[in-house]
Amino acid sequence: MTTIAVPAAPRIKISRFRFGEYGALLFFAVVMGLPVVFLLISSFNISPPSKEAVYGLDNWVRAFSDPGTLGALWMSFLLSLTYLIPGMTLSIAIAWLIARTDMTGRGLVEFLCWFAYFVPDFPLVLAWILLLDPNFGFLNTAAKAMPFVDGPVFNPYSFWGIVWVHLSTGGVWFKVMLLTPIFRRVGATLEEAARVAGANYFTVLRRVSLPVIMPAILAVAALSFIRGLESFNTELLLGTPVGIYVYATRIYDYTRHEPAAYGEATALGSVFLVVLAILAYFYQRRLKGKKFTVVTGQGYSTLRIKLGRWRYVALAACLGYIAVMMFLPLGFLMLGSVMRRYGFFHLREPFSLIHWQNLFGDPIFFIALKNSLVIAAITAVAAVALYSTVGYLLVSRKVKIAPALEMLTWMPWVVPGILMSLGLLWMFLATPLRSVLYGSVWGIALALVIKESPVCTQAFKAAFLQLGPDLEEAARVSGASWTYMYRKVLAPLVAPIAVTVGFISFGNALTSISTPVLLYSPQSRPLAILLMEYSFSGEVERAAALGLLITAMVSAMMLVGRKFVRPLTGNL
Amino acid sequence: MAQAVLEFRDVLKRYGDYTAVDRVSFALAPGEFFTLLGPSGCGKTTTLRLAAGLEEPDDGEIVLSGNPIAAPRRGILVPPDKRRMGMVFQSYAIWPHMTVFENVAFPLRVRGESAGALKKKVLDALELVGLGGFEARGATSLSGGQQQRVALARALSYTPAVLLLDEPLSNLDAKLREQMRFELRALQRRLNLTVLYVTHDQSEAMTLSDRIAVMRQGKIEQLGNPVDIYERPATAFVGDFLGRTVVLDGALKKTGDRLFLEFAGGERLSVGENHNGKFADGEAIRIVCRPEDVRILAAGPVAPTEITARVNEVAYLGDHLEYTVGACGRSIIVVAGKHERYPAGAEIRLAFDPARLTLLHIES
Repeated sequence: MTTIAVPAAPRIKISRFRFGEYGALLFFAVVMGLPVVFLLISSFNISPPSKEAVYGLDNWVRAFSDPGTLGALWMSFLLSLTYLIPGMTLSIAIAWLIARTDMTGRGLVEFLCWFAYFVPDFPLVLAWILLLDPNFGFLNTAAKAMPFVDGPVFNPYSFWGIVWVHLSTGGVWFKVMLLTPIFRRVGATLEEAARVAGANYFTVLRRVSLPVIMPAILAVAALSFIRGLESFNTELLLGTPVGIYVYATRIYDYTRHEPAAYGEATALGSVFLVVLAILAYFYQRRLKGKKFTVVTGQGYSTLRIKLGRWRYVALAACLGYIAVMMFLPLGFLMLGSVMRRYGFFHLREPFSLIHWQNLFGDPIFFIALKNSLVIAAITAVAAVALYSTVGYLLVSRKVKIAPALEMLTWMPWVVPGILMSLGLLWMFLATPLRSVLYGSVWGIALALVIKESPVCTQAFKAAFLQLGPDLEEAARVSGASWTYMYRKVLAPLVAPIAVTVGFISFGNALTSISTPVLLYSPQSRPLAILLMEYSFSGEVERAAALGLLITAMVSAMMLVGRKFVRPLTGNL
Repeated sequence: MAQAVLEFRDVLKRYGDYTAVDRVSFALAPGEFFTLLGPSGCGKTTTLRLAAGLEEPDDGEIVLSGNPIAAPRRGILVPPDKRRMGMVFQSYAIWPHMTVFENVAFPLRVRGESAGALKKKVLDALELVGLGGFEARGATSLSGGQQQRVALARALSYTPAVLLLDEPLSNLDAKLREQMRFELRALQRRLNLTVLYVTHDQSEAMTLSDRIAVMRQGKIEQLGNPVDIYERPATAFVGDFLGRTVVLDGALKKTGDRLFLEFAGGERLSVGENHNGKFADGEAIRIVCRPEDVRILAAGPVAPTEITARVNEVAYLGDHLEYTVGACGRSIIVVAGKHERYPAGAEIRLAFDPARLTLLHIES
């Protein structure tokens, strides 16, 4: 053992790792940055796409001289802010009840919120139309039957209608899923120290717990606000018919003009990007670094407030809210899909499966179903492959450009789906990628993969951070090449996260509308877009059937995968 | 000395402006237990990781059995998997999704060992670390000490050129640490392993090592066998790091061949005759020795190797007494057996052994 022959040293260029690293950065810069660049450039291009470019300020002038444009921007802010306030209040209350009290059935409430989080929003908006439409909405019909009421009581096609529906879709469940772990993570020791020091529960809450989690709550509020700005589905169905435009529906509207007003659309998109950049800057300055450092007590808290007999009242309130906001509309979606003519209960045979038969008899449906499954599968596989690599690169201490890379991966948080698609559309049109990506399932999948970037990257990053470098290095020193080590050590250990990321990307790809809405063609039309088209053509019953079907597909998938699928909320 | 198994030649590692390893050179003889000792942040772990190939040096050469494995100037960098090293991490790095058997078998599987030989080697390695019969257990169901043994078995299941150990005992409780220290040394002797060991615990380094390199701020401060380093520290830092020291400062006075240290109060101490030439007359000098090499005597006539002192505090520590005494304007701690006792306030003499004194230039 005293003399050991070591094979002659293979000569390896030291910079090989660097090369791969800059490759990844370049790829991301192209995929994330180029659509934005194209968007900006094309906002100055005053000739239609695929014609020779002529540059000028006409688009910007027209966009700003149209009072609707700035109005749409303002409406986006106003709406997002308006439903943020009740949304935050409700979700803080529910999360607090779940995490910090002895409310009866808090596990059930948490599960229902988790379930509601995955219910796609477009079918829900449709369901609220079935309930509240001034002409055929069930609640209006029912109200009219009462004395002293004439004319519709509710009108969903209004500012407050949009706010209300948001509290049923993204406004609450998402925040509950973000906030519950934060409430749970407040270190027990911090609170116990305060109790021992002589503070009662409410003093602890006021003086210790709340200040400690305040930055996290503000971060959730800021994120929700920015996400609210990109909202599209609700405003499209409820705002457009009465002329309430947010900037996303305004952009969509421009692209539907005859001829399409791409110039105005890109100018409006660019203005919005500038506004977002300013917002993101302030958000980073105010909250960077505060998010997690504060919630670092040890151990999960066991200190739960005793609600006494209010534990049943609290449960009833939570279940009541979930029932009214989630199961009532889902119930009417089901009812709508099996009525011959929705709202006409006095017909001789009001119930029928005719709309389901029509749906399944429609050849377009099967093409769309196939497209959706193909798109979702590509998205899920690509998201796992891409973001596991990026997450690994971000964690690897050797990567020097990690901060730049990470910033790029956050971009889709602030660049809304419809803007991303608009940029991609221009990129597809202007480059040789056109033949492969324009109007194809591949182009839609690419947009969806980009949209998944922040959540997926952060999930993998957290997983790799948790593993630490030792397990990997131990394998390398043991004689395993990088690929062998990845296969035998890293891959099995991050598999649960990979499954989660795959499931969630698949689900999001099935239900997204604003991302593919500018990119699809009749050959690549996915189910969600078909649902949108049914809703516009007044076929509410068939739309209800399809909406229910999509909801069932996603819910079934999430329930089957419940063992793995946790909302990736701990990482945001 | 036979050809060195592992040799560092002027190895340099920087992180930005920070120099973690600053032109370090040393060589491990076959079968040697070599320890890098130093406080946290001194660059010892980085040095180990450079040997493993987990870090790239910025300059210098690392040579394994005559073959360069990292030499940036020549564009050579052998990746960690081609270096035939075995390594035990401070966290043990046991793969949680594999059984004990699979963990230990990993280095053999990578090397394409045949199934029969693989099984025998794995079981032998587990037997060696005292984990026979544990092979089917899940790796995460083991205690800290058992995980440590699995990590060791994994590093030894094939025959590594050098065994790299990164503070392997620091996460164990005191009793287990002592036992593992003993077993580790016995194992190293029996298998004649060449070991590069990293620790911040001086007693671990003293009991395990053939040679110790004391590191500070990326540099090797002193390299030698444990006795040398403890008895004749090259710098005050080394002396202090390896245990408690008695330190006195004064001016050097030459009287013929004999050297004296003259303190601020005018008192003189004979410090021997062997330092001729190294120190100049009148130079500011520091003497360093171990508390146990200073004897306490009752007040009386003061010999040249003695100084007067006064007891300030006495601490009873069971098997011995610890005196805090004031001498030559300094407060120093000396120890004595429990049979000779001096109360606080007593006048005493401190007797030094010139052969056990280290003289140092005072770093300005």
